Amino acid sequence: MGVNRFLRKIFLVDLLQGLALTFRYQDPREIYTEQYPLQRPQVAERYRGAPRLNVNAETNETLCIACDLCALACPERLIIVSSERNEKTRRKELTNFTYDLSRCMFCGLCEDACPTDALELTQDFELANYTREGAIWDRQTLEQGPQPTVYKR
Amino acid sequence: MPVEKSEQNPLAVEHLEQAPSEKTHLDSNELILNMGPQHPSTHGVLRVILKLDGEKVLGTECVIGYLHRGVEKIAEHRTYAMFNPYVDRMDYVAAVSNGLGYCEAVEKLMNVQAPPRANYIRVILTELNRMASHMLWLGTHALDIGAITPLFYTFRDREEILKIFEKYCGARLTTHAFRIGGCLYETYDGFEDDVTKFCNFVEPKLGEYETLLTTNRIWLERTKGVGYLSAEDCKALGVTGPVLRASGVKWDLRKAQPYAAYKDFEFDIPTGQNGDTYDRYLVRIAEMHQSLRIILQAVKAIPEGPIMAKIPKVLKPPVGEIYHSIEAPKGELGYFIVSDGSTQPYRVRVRPPSFVNLQALDKMVRGQLVADVVAVIGTIDIVLGEVDR
Amino acid sequence: MRDYVLGYLDSTVTPGEAGNVLWALIYIVLIFTGVSIAVMSMNWLERKILAHMQVRLGPMRVGPHGLLQPIADAIKLLIKEDIMPAEADKALFWMAPVVIVITSFAVYTVIPFGPAHAVTDMNIGLLFMLGVSSLSVLGIIMAGWASNSHYPLMGALRSSAQMVSYEVAMGMAVVSAVLMTSMNAAGTGTLSMIGIVQAQEQQQIWFIFKFFPLGLLAFFIFAVAMVAETNRAPFDLPEAESELVAGFHTEYSGFRWSLFFLAEYAAMIAVSSIAVTLWLGGWMRPFAHLLNGRTWELTFSAVPALTFFVLAALAARATIRFPKHPLMRIQRIGLAGFGAVLGGIGLVLLVPPVRDRVQDISWFTFKVAVFMYMYIWYRGTFPRYRFDQLMQLGWKFMIPTGIAVLIGTALVGVLWG
Repeated sequence: MGVNRFLRKIFLVDLLQGLALTFRYQDPREIYTEQYPLQRPQVAERYRGAPRLNVNAETNETLCIACDLCALACPERLIIVSSERNEKTRRKELTNFTYDLSRCMFCGLCEDACPTDALELTQDFELANYTREGAIWDRQTLEQGPQPTVYKR
Repeated sequence: MPVEKSEQNPLAVEHLEQAPSEKTHLDSNELILNMGPQHPSTHGVLRVILKLDGEKVLGTECVIGYLHRGVEKIAEHRTYAMFNPYVDRMDYVAAVSNGLGYCEAVEKLMNVQAPPRANYIRVILTELNRMASHMLWLGTHALDIGAITPLFYTFRDREEILKIFEKYCGARLTTHAFRIGGCLYETYDGFEDDVTKFCNFVEPKLGEYETLLTTNRIWLERTKGVGYLSAEDCKALGVTGPVLRASGVKWDLRKAQPYAAYKDFEFDIPTGQNGDTYDRYLVRIAEMHQSLRIILQAVKAIPEGPIMAKIPKVLKPPVGEIYHSIEAPKGELGYFIVSDGSTQPYRVRVRPPSFVNLQALDKMVRGQLVADVVAVIGTIDIVLGEVDR
Repeated sequence: MRDYVLGYLDSTVTPGEAGNVLWALIYIVLIFTGVSIAVMSMNWLERKILAHMQVRLGPMRVGPHGLLQPIADAIKLLIKEDIMPAEADKALFWMAPVVIVITSFAVYTVIPFGPAHAVTDMNIGLLFMLGVSSLSVLGIIMAGWASNSHYPLMGALRSSAQMVSYEVAMGMAVVSAVLMTSMNAAGTGTLSMIGIVQAQEQQQIWFIFKFFPLGLLAFFIFAVAMVAETNRAPFDLPEAESELVAGFHTEYSGFRWSLFFLAEYAAMIAVSSIAVTLWLGGWMRPFAHLLNGRTWELTFSAVPALTFFVLAALAARATIRFPKHPLMRIQRIGLAGFGAVLGGIGLVLLVPPVRDRVQDISWFTFKVAVFMYMYIWYRGTFPRYRFDQLMQLGWKFMIPTGIAVLIGTALVGVLWG
């Protein structure tokens, strides 16, 4: 055992093993980089990205019933749901929905709190804006949904 | 304030009467060096003021607080469920453990038990999280000592864990995976396959890290004998986690005070003999192997059933206080919650393992060289988000 | 005119010995250009090879596969603001990079690329190389002192201590090799670089294999000492980023820093050339005496052209696999052109007159390139030595082993010479 250790020491076996490992990793198949933006990452279905207000596919009416549960659930209190009472049906109808993305931490509590499938966090993660006001989304932007960026330059 | 030297006080300092920043007059060959908040190797914004005699370190003083965000104050103004996402941001490297500790603490306060299926899912995710944290630690520690390639290998393997987290709860780093009472998300289709495939994938990779580092003579010279911390010092300072286990004390909260589903699994607690940097490295690598063991056992045996206990929609825990701690990858992570009966906690105090372990830096680094300070900071495994909250 | 040029190309002595100032100047210009191109390609190669070892890609965007990255880096360094610390010693601050560059480049006058292809062949060429490259320590200390800040000063002192200690070990190894040159019938050794390679040719053995394992040990000591001499991993504590002291070139920015960088890589190539000349047979092709004969000569002489063809094929393969985005069209065409140029050079190298003349220089360059690859490989694999461990290794292991090898070589030479 002593001889073995001595031989390993003078023949630098440990250093050569390390060198062999890094040499082997030069194989181009081992490369793990994704060249963004040519290769976009595949995100999971449950990914908590940009919010979206869903609309009924056939009638194009919003699914939101203006119950205000998402605003109550948000830890940062950045959702403002404004509604008015429809006299005919005696129900609340959504007028405006403001979501402040600059303070959002994408925790998903609003998505969990929503009783209908109206508020959903999508897979969009490209949320950069040029202005601070651009990060405050109103109802129209939210209903439009994610706009994947196409890079021209 | 000068500390009196006495036999009873194990923290008595021999060389340093005043903290380096308070010293008004230096001896001629002493130098005060500031390892500033912006430094490539202080894992975050940590300022260490070193008092040097040439190359030898005579004393250190850590200045923290650059990342203080007032998390405990925020807790007083949020409901219990709302505070859950904030908890991930403390130890942002291993967010799942933070969530587990908090949820279990509130459940204990409310006297609810998470169902067994939820406990198994919690264990699997927490052990994956432990592996991810140790992988990041290994990469950055090796980088500080000069080996620049293990960083990329460990990050690549950590990506696989983060992919599993993403598929499970929707976020890679700040996972918010658990809810008070159990888990919100059911396991996705193929969860067990993914986890098993990952375990088989990563086992040879751990062997690769060891090839590059464990027997490498340069690594041995840099880490053996560096940063010695005796078992008595560990216990006196309250140091927990791999640092404590590497000093020879066999204390792991998963075995000593089992929580979640750890009672059902068979695993060992790796300990070291000399409390130096090399032993901490070996202990953490062995812990990764043990985590793999736990995950493989758990994944085969997830029981069926509900994943959420019956808790009221508006959480109002009874008046009282509770301290509950878990074995986070970095040490004992504890939550002390005081409830006054309303929906918002009266006080949440977090016992961060990195904060308490950082106290040991002074003891470990006395008499060592400047180049070892970086190695020792790396080996304690601190995350400033936790230290400063 | 043509006769003059051909007359020179067939000469058997170096321009320095022939007293031909014009050709000496031409050589100097060629060497300077060659080393600058080599340094730029080392920059690209280091980033790419290191990246591939770390399962990532390295520069990809600047030119096709990052080929224009060194040029972009050079331009950036040239147009950067030239900052001089207010309290710095202006004359020394200006002079330090100049001293280092001059000493690193002065050694190239004696490096033998072929039997007649050096600027000059001093009969103390080896001593000249070792001496002049030691002067760079002076430049480092000047740089550390002139910066007037204690981090660079500490870094400079450490750097210089390291370089000086490993020079002793280098010296021991070098003397063993010189001893081996005297193992011929006449018993005369030589310090001249061309003479050392010619001694290897005469004794028909590369000195790394001579008196096995003494030649190998001497080579090993030199290989480790040269890595420590040039402040490269695993001995790069003085210039490491994660240590407290950032090194002697902290306060230098822009062009001044690029001079340090140039000098470091030039020094790497210079010490590798010493190693190649002393132990690996300089410009000799492998198996020069074992596998001789016309067919072997022809086979080995096709190797330079073959390497260019292989490189051209790799470039062609990369062009085919290039992402087909419209914005990447120019890069794709550029890469195809680069591949075509490489293939053209390969074809030119097949033409017999060119092929025969280019042999010496290409084998020398291959061997030096292997050493450069080893430098990058070590950087990617090994952690760093702490400074005291570094000095301990140099004084307590390298020097005693060097002395032992020297005494061993002398004994073996006397007894079995």
